[in-house]
Amino acid sequence: MFPWSPDFTFDVGHVIFLGAFYLVVLVIGGSVAMAAFRAIRDFRQQRQEAIRWHGDFEDLPVSARRCRHELTGEVRSRTCPNAFDCRECEAHPALVALRSSDFEATAGTGADYGLSMPPDRMYHRGHTWAKKEEDGTVTVGLDDLGRRLLGHPDRLDLPVSGTRVEANGVAIRAKKGNADVRLLSPVDGTVVQVGSLEDGWLYRVSPPEGGLDTRHLLSGAEVRPWILREVERLQEVLAGEKSGVGLALADGGTPLEDLSIAIPKNEWDRAFGEMFLEP
Amino acid sequence: MQSAKKPLDGKTHRYGMVIDLDRCTGCGACMVACAVENNVPPGDPAANERTGISWLRIYRMNDGQPLPETRTAFVPVPCQQCGAKAPCVSVCPQNAVEVDRSSGIVGQIPVRCLGCRYCMAACPYHARSFNWWDPVWPAGMKESLNPDVSTRTRGVVEKCNFCFHRLQAARAKAAAAGSREESPGDYLPACVEACPTSAFLFGDLDDPTSDVAKAAEGKGTFRLLEKLGTDPKVIYRSARPWVRQMADGALPRNGKEEHRG
Amino acid sequence: MASTMDSLVSGTLINTKIIEPLKTVDGKLMARGVRRAPLPKFLLAMAPWVVVLGFGLYGAWLCLYRGLNQTNMDNRFAFGLWIYLDLTIIALGAGAFFTGFLLYVLRRTEMKAVINSAVVIGFVCYSGAVAILMIDVGQPLRAWFTFWHPNIHSMLTEVTFCITCYLMVLAIEYTPLLLKNRQLRKVPSLLVFEFELHKVMVVLAALGTFLSFFHQGSLGGLYGVMSARPFAFREAIGIWPSTFFLFILSAAAVGPGFVLATTALVEKLSGKKLVKDEVPALLAKISGSLLIVYVLAKAVDTLVWINSTSPSTGAEPMSFYSHRPFGPWILFAEIVVCGLVPALLLRDGGKRLSLKWRVPAAALACSGVALNRFVMTIQTQALPTLPFDRFLSYTPSWQETASFLAVVAYGVLVYALSFRYLNLFPEERELANS
Repeated sequence: MFPWSPDFTFDVGHVIFLGAFYLVVLVIGGSVAMAAFRAIRDFRQQRQEAIRWHGDFEDLPVSARRCRHELTGEVRSRTCPNAFDCRECEAHPALVALRSSDFEATAGTGADYGLSMPPDRMYHRGHTWAKKEEDGTVTVGLDDLGRRLLGHPDRLDLPVSGTRVEANGVAIRAKKGNADVRLLSPVDGTVVQVGSLEDGWLYRVSPPEGGLDTRHLLSGAEVRPWILREVERLQEVLAGEKSGVGLALADGGTPLEDLSIAIPKNEWDRAFGEMFLEP
Repeated sequence: MQSAKKPLDGKTHRYGMVIDLDRCTGCGACMVACAVENNVPPGDPAANERTGISWLRIYRMNDGQPLPETRTAFVPVPCQQCGAKAPCVSVCPQNAVEVDRSSGIVGQIPVRCLGCRYCMAACPYHARSFNWWDPVWPAGMKESLNPDVSTRTRGVVEKCNFCFHRLQAARAKAAAAGSREESPGDYLPACVEACPTSAFLFGDLDDPTSDVAKAAEGKGTFRLLEKLGTDPKVIYRSARPWVRQMADGALPRNGKEEHRG
Repeated sequence: MASTMDSLVSGTLINTKIIEPLKTVDGKLMARGVRRAPLPKFLLAMAPWVVVLGFGLYGAWLCLYRGLNQTNMDNRFAFGLWIYLDLTIIALGAGAFFTGFLLYVLRRTEMKAVINSAVVIGFVCYSGAVAILMIDVGQPLRAWFTFWHPNIHSMLTEVTFCITCYLMVLAIEYTPLLLKNRQLRKVPSLLVFEFELHKVMVVLAALGTFLSFFHQGSLGGLYGVMSARPFAFREAIGIWPSTFFLFILSAAAVGPGFVLATTALVEKLSGKKLVKDEVPALLAKISGSLLIVYVLAKAVDTLVWINSTSPSTGAEPMSFYSHRPFGPWILFAEIVVCGLVPALLLRDGGKRLSLKWRVPAAALACSGVALNRFVMTIQTQALPTLPFDRFLSYTPSWQETASFLAVVAYGVLVYALSFRYLNLFPEERELANS
């Protein structure tokens, strides 16, 4: 087997055969070792949240990955190639520059279905929002649809003061019935204050040294088409798969404070996953 | 077992046999002698002709004529000790089979054998036996085993090796006498020794002066499955045309197989 | 649907005909949003397989403890049921490497839909084959000798090396699937490792293709090099007998077909649509095309064998087919019934025949490969070689059959568990919601 073994002779056959074998073992071992080495490096660079989000994003259905510019009608059809991280996207600034001057004029007070989407804040695709305060901190909360979905969770784990959060990273965990929920932080920063659902906000962060980057958050005229689409998605989620539940949303009227009442308990897991972008 | 090292005196031998089918009576003494000499374990009660171990098998052929004109011949078939292209050598995954350059004997290393049985599938002469059972020695038999031959364990292949241990003994004897060359008469496999009708002739086929080399060139000689190109060192001879025709055929016509023992 | 509608609007709950889906205790282990049978029903379905596994393990243990005399193999039938079935399941497991090749090397992204399933099938087939081999050899503890004293001229050495390496590759390809289990992916270290492992998949898929090519071929070479067995012996192309290439072709052809058939079976058993239509269409097209190439190659090879190779060893080729039950019908079955016919059916693609012929066609092709391996293993040994030989027969013992059934049960259990708890079919959720 080895060059020093008794049977070994340095002829063409042995060299090719065992050379190929050693090469194969090297490639296999090397690949795994490289993967392990890179994984350790990722940990040292604190990239696990980003990796988690990218992994989750890949596993989301196509309907949940529509580019914000498709929702607003700026492009016909586009699936986000950047895990909703418009900060990394080349197409995003180009498309923003192409917007006409009356783009923002269509901004309304919120959406149909009686959902309240105040224009003073910016929205994350995972239904959290971020609002810059005068003292420089940023408040983070759950938007109206998210709040009604979650209703009164059995358990809500908010980040502790001093924790570092990152945009698209996991900030909050909740439990409702059988369902595990995780909510994504809309911004980077360090938590300085913690709120509650009743307060209307969840936590406050001080922005990172480099300044606050909100390019990936929705604001202004983008919000309405997005939230319309989100409600459609919720309906699709609940209407699908022989669940026997046919749900339709009537126009007008006020939605329930706790939408989860209307959703069968066994569907909560699926519904929350779909809406809060966790596959 | 010697590996491919330089032979003792630089001269290589090709040990082979000529078996005279006109002399073989089918008595089976060779089979018994072989089993005793090589520590072949007694067969398990559940063993049959296809699962039992026999390094040398005697087949009976008859010429197909009805009684009382039927004529019979007995054909002892040991390992045919094929030449350089022995089918079993190239197929062994562990290099446990090789053709010994100094003697031409196809050797098997039982302690290296994995028991994959590929060599058994490759051998057209069905010369190889597998240890389907663990050897069980009846009381007292262990004391009578041949100390020169190691016993095999369950799950390995074994076959005739022309009593190679006797060749080693002959070489040792020659070395003790100061000679580098074993004396021809000192080395005879057990089957050759046991045959009461002297149907076996054994010796160095490469030595033109030896009886066996002369007999190998004689009339009526043939080898089994010649057309397969195995180049065996076991040569048969018979003066009877029907024996030669029946045995020499590369593949069977209507031969009947019956074993002895 | 008005009467059964539940309204999200306003305070009152109108709940008429909501059918609560059955609860599953182990729901947290499953991917979110997929539906699986309730745990008791699943366990009940798995129970008979566990029994078969247990029984088979007993048969295997007997062979290990008491020796191979527990089988019906003998000195004339050195290879038996196990070798034959090993070769067959390795050929069927070729779908793993071929799908990987299509996806990672040829970038056919449709294959994403079945790659996970194909990897599990491949893993199960190869690990089962290796397990059987460990029982089949007389001295399993000496298995490493092949690595220590390799005989590079032996096809079996090549098989051993390649299959060992490939099993490692398959295990590594299976790992990300496991790590993406809903609960396991929560563990940060496993999550990150899976991410990095996935990045090197291309290399491993290419390596797997290379390894598979060689061991599928060497398995064919096992028979083709036996110069002393004229029935099996074939002319060489380079250093490899023609059976080397024929086995590769047949495995590559049947692998996608097996993936197609198993996917259809899983869809039927689970009552869900798991892949978009383009996937079985592509698999069928590839399988059919390769089968046609294989049929042509095999026909040419058979003609060469009949007219040249076999007569040169002094054998009359049709004499090999004169022993019942092996007659010339075998050649016809292999090449036409289980070769050309499924090839044409698979390539039809719905133009003249209904698409529902695809799965039976794939099954027929798989049977053809099984028949081919059977003929090479069993018929070769049954045929007489010496003039005073006769045609022999062999029936596997219950221990042999049970051991093999244990492998089948193991495969079913691993696949069923993978289907239940892992994301075998990425398109499942999308198809469920549409």
